[in-house]
Amino acid sequence: MKDRQPSFLDAACWPTAFIVLLLLAWEGAVRYLGIRSIVLPPPSEIAVVMATRYDLLLTHLWPSLYLTIAGFALSVVGGFLVAVLITYSEIMRKGLYPVIVVSQIVPKISIAPLFIVWFGTGTISSLLLAFLIGFFPMTINSAMGFQSIDEEIHKMARTFMASRWQVFWKIRLPTALPHIFAGMKISVTLAIIGVIVSEFVASQEGIGYLIKLAGGLLDTPLMMAAIAVLSLSGLALYWIIELAERRTIYWQATAENLAETGG
Amino acid sequence: MKSDARLLLDPRSAHEANDLYAVRVNSIKKVFDEIEAIRDVSLDIANGEFVSLLGPSGCGKSTLLMMIAGLLAPTSGQVILANTPVLSPRREVGVVFQNPVLLPWRSVIDNVLLPIEFLRLPIKDYRARALDLLKMVKLEEFADALPRQLSGGMRQRASICRALIHDPHILLMDEPFSALDAITRDDMAVELLRIWQATRKTVIFVTHSIREAAFLSDRVLTMGRRPATIIDEVRIDLPRPRHIGMTEEDSFNRYVRHLRKSIEASHEG
Repeated sequence: MKDRQPSFLDAACWPTAFIVLLLLAWEGAVRYLGIRSIVLPPPSEIAVVMATRYDLLLTHLWPSLYLTIAGFALSVVGGFLVAVLITYSEIMRKGLYPVIVVSQIVPKISIAPLFIVWFGTGTISSLLLAFLIGFFPMTINSAMGFQSIDEEIHKMARTFMASRWQVFWKIRLPTALPHIFAGMKISVTLAIIGVIVSEFVASQEGIGYLIKLAGGLLDTPLMMAAIAVLSLSGLALYWIIELAERRTIYWQATAENLAETGG
Repeated sequence: MKSDARLLLDPRSAHEANDLYAVRVNSIKKVFDEIEAIRDVSLDIANGEFVSLLGPSGCGKSTLLMMIAGLLAPTSGQVILANTPVLSPRREVGVVFQNPVLLPWRSVIDNVLLPIEFLRLPIKDYRARALDLLKMVKLEEFADALPRQLSGGMRQRASICRALIHDPHILLMDEPFSALDAITRDDMAVELLRIWQATRKTVIFVTHSIREAAFLSDRVLTMGRRPATIIDEVRIDLPRPRHIGMTEEDSFNRYVRHLRKSIEASHEG
């Protein structure tokens, strides 16, 4: 596990350099071409806004972040449970699973106004949208993971008289973990979208509300500062899951490790 | 070699006594989608006997083994272990598969202890036994390693330990060495005989290697293809313990020739 940590840092090194370069180019271009800050503020101005108006940004970040995490948690638990149901019930697998797969076509954010009608403009609408939008990839990925059990391993478990639950906990779940984490990474980014969209539609707080408000006031630097804060939070959430994945799935060999042990 | 007397017990000398047999297969038939895979196979295997099922790939020998393991139900006929018909997998059986099928997230010793967990037996009581078994196959240093850190032969040795952990009477082996290279394969055969001498299990060993079958077994049953039946039975009266040098000797090669002929005959017919 330890030997992969540096490779992770190595991997982060290049994109970071790229982003720094991009910001510098942006800063330079805005100054050189004399672009007005209402159209495109330079990164330095956005940073200044982030530093000076941090209390405003944080006031609006917390409700969004909290709803994102809550909605994400709900979609993880819900998706996991439905995936278990799909795995163990033939009726669910034949009936529900295809419906879930096909319902992916429906753009979930188009449901946001409907949720406002049903649940009002409060937190419940945002929470439910974040949950709904993250639920599908979580379900599909987990179900795929549970079904990706190696047939030979399953046969082995049956000869040693494993019960269905033992097969689930000791074999299916660990096998499914890479799929489950992949689903979580998709779900967490979607949960953010769900909350923001819901705040766009109708809300009195949250980063989505702040972005809309700043847009209405033509305060572009504030708008971009809000977007930056939102993106950084999203990145942090993603990174936490990535870290948890690396810790949980310790047995997956990196390419170097495989070469070392001769496969 | 005190144990040898028991290992070489001749089943023909006591045909009446039922409990002499570890495994009895009574005119088993298996039909898959109207295709007859196995036709009327009967065999009796004595306690402590090492029997190989030898035949070409796809002749149904693995199917037969899976029916003995209780993983597949025969279309007709019966498998009897310890005087009771096999309806599902049984505790007195340990299975070694073609691939080691170790769980990649578990250490070697936790893989070996897996059947104990499945059987809900107290794990700490079996830890010492697991270590003893690993010691027997010279893997005790790798007890805490993950399977990916082991070579193919080492993984298969670990999977043999797993099959033995709950002290089954019968060891079923489904082409366990066929995924290994030739040199490792010879080593594993010698190793297996050593384990067998030490543990006195009844072994049913499925293979398509004539040499392997002749080297390991007390008795070799050759199977023919489509539908599979037992076409020949050869008793290998070579002394035990056997060593790999014996495969150079004429007496050994006479058996190999005989087995090859009986398999070839089944191909023509």
